[in-house]
Amino acid sequence: MKKYLLLFLSIVLTLSCAKKEETIKIGIAGPMTGDQAKMGTDFKNSVTLAVEEWNAKGGVLGKKIAVMIADDQRDPKQAVSVANKLVNKGAVGIIGHFNSSCSIPASDVYNRAGIPMITPASTNPQLTEKGYRGVFRVCGRDDQQGKVAAGFVIHQLKLKKVVVIHDKTTYGQGLADEFKKFLGGMVEVVYYGGIVQGDKDFKTVLTAIKDKKPELIFFGGIYPEAGLLVKQARELGLSVPFMSGDGTIDPKFIEIAGAQAAEGTYLTFSPDPQHIPTAKEFIDKYKARYGELGPYSIYAYDATNILLTAVKEAGTKDGKAIIERLHSMEFSGALGKIKFDNRGDVTVAPYVVWITKNGKFEEYWKL
Amino acid sequence: MLAQQIINGLTLGGVYAIIALGYTMVYGILELINFAHGEIYMLGAYAGIIFFGLFTAIGLTSYSLPLSIVLTLILSIIFCSSYGFTIEKIAYKPLRKAPRLSPLISAIGVSIFLQNYVMLTQGATDRVFPYLFGAAGFDFIGARVTYLQSFIIAISALLMLSLHFFVARTMIGKAMRAVAQDRVMASLVGINIDTVISTTFVIGSGLAAVAGMMVAMYYGLVNYSIGYIAGIKAFTAAVLGGIGSIPGAMFGGIVLGLVEAMGAAYISSEYKDAYAFVILIIILLIKPAGLFGKSTEDRYK
Repeated sequence: MKKYLLLFLSIVLTLSCAKKEETIKIGIAGPMTGDQAKMGTDFKNSVTLAVEEWNAKGGVLGKKIAVMIADDQRDPKQAVSVANKLVNKGAVGIIGHFNSSCSIPASDVYNRAGIPMITPASTNPQLTEKGYRGVFRVCGRDDQQGKVAAGFVIHQLKLKKVVVIHDKTTYGQGLADEFKKFLGGMVEVVYYGGIVQGDKDFKTVLTAIKDKKPELIFFGGIYPEAGLLVKQARELGLSVPFMSGDGTIDPKFIEIAGAQAAEGTYLTFSPDPQHIPTAKEFIDKYKARYGELGPYSIYAYDATNILLTAVKEAGTKDGKAIIERLHSMEFSGALGKIKFDNRGDVTVAPYVVWITKNGKFEEYWKL
Repeated sequence: MLAQQIINGLTLGGVYAIIALGYTMVYGILELINFAHGEIYMLGAYAGIIFFGLFTAIGLTSYSLPLSIVLTLILSIIFCSSYGFTIEKIAYKPLRKAPRLSPLISAIGVSIFLQNYVMLTQGATDRVFPYLFGAAGFDFIGARVTYLQSFIIAISALLMLSLHFFVARTMIGKAMRAVAQDRVMASLVGINIDTVISTTFVIGSGLAAVAGMMVAMYYGLVNYSIGYIAGIKAFTAAVLGGIGSIPGAMFGGIVLGLVEAMGAAYISSEYKDAYAFVILIIILLIKPAGLFGKSTEDRYK
């Protein structure tokens, strides 16, 4: 009996030793369930695609790469909890989170653990203003985005009275505030207020807005609320144009609002990847496997490649070395050349205005 | 603007009232707060989307839209009623003689089970109900009313009236009132308690199915968690009107809808959910049994 026990123990020990140190682990964090699950799935698809390509070439540092998926349910509390979990499981770096309100508290955890995080989508300025060395983003910032949106309203549409609403999240309110700030009194904001994320009935607030006779409604928030807002505004006979940011640019927005109500909606977002020559290879591969691209698919793909390149060039799993490498390297990916500045923001972040036309998004205007 | 907000509030309140009826009827008879009731409403919304999708697939929708909506509504009612019936038999009936807390915990369990069951079978993402009516509507004393809104208000009113007559005039309605007054006494005079309780659950669930289907059509967006907040609101409406009282639930629902609309319009939309609870606290302080409720002593007089 004793002999068998010893044999069993030694097998278990060998197995557990063999399992350890076999892979390089990276974490993906985002909303994998709930109303924003589509965004999380987009992340997952892109990261999986990138990691499979690396593994086909033999992985990194001579080891295969394993992906750990964490669901933050777009909830800041949950984000901190999954961040701790990813750190404890030994992630060398994180791709995520999606919502700024999740990325910001989670960045504390990653900073303490000394590992890098690269978010493909969190655009709130505060994220990189905290001075954490290991926090990066491959997307733009809301102050850049709000500036373009305000410029469009002032110079292109030449409006006088607008309404600004937001969903009270870090991202939504941040974007709405930046937009308002860059209007700079040249356009009158006749109504400014918040709605509740997850709510379905906005007719009461829209009725109050209708009374102010605005020429445009600007919404800082994500597509489920944006879709319902446009739809219910049209039902109330409020037919002024609607404008929102990158959180709304998703086919689900048009599906929820209905193509007719969504028609003519302006959205600030980065330029169409279809027009970027370097992106073609990625787009074809992604489409063949998962269908239509999500708004952040390409960002998640580049973020993964940047992280893994940094690990490879640093030649170690040590977080500090990887972070320093990330700061100094220049990367050319599907989006073109990417370089990080001192704060971890991309040095060039162009935003353009898109429009919804015949149930599709199209590039419309450049500052 | 006032007229518009009243219309908004009535639409919302009508839906709350219909769900609240399910709570209040079950409480009246079993003194059980059926926390799974919100989930029945959510099932109704999903059933609406699924059956309607089915009719679209076989081409009935393009043949006759009203017919397919009515058929979808009937099928959803049957679907949810059978859920209500089964839930009572499985989760509440075996506990009828247990302490009062046990069926309550059982109800919470059923609620959690149903949410996760729908999440796993239907997915965690939002489901979109096809946008059928567009923004079409008419103007009514300065307010813009869509056809769908008037449909919802009309159906709610119709259902409340029919329920009122059902409980007041029919034999089974009379039996329900008798069981609510005194279960033991009712059984002594030959009323089949099990039938009455089952009927209550079937009717309550059928009403929730209608509410779910109407909300799915109105907002066009459904997910597995909508039952929670709707359940809480409807429960508030039932308590506001006096839990156990049918006119109370109707009144409570309408008041709740109007308070939310007015609060969001004239104070701030950010605290929309809070107004309902502020009103609830005030009413409970002044009249602990709710507006139409009888205090415990009165019930047994």
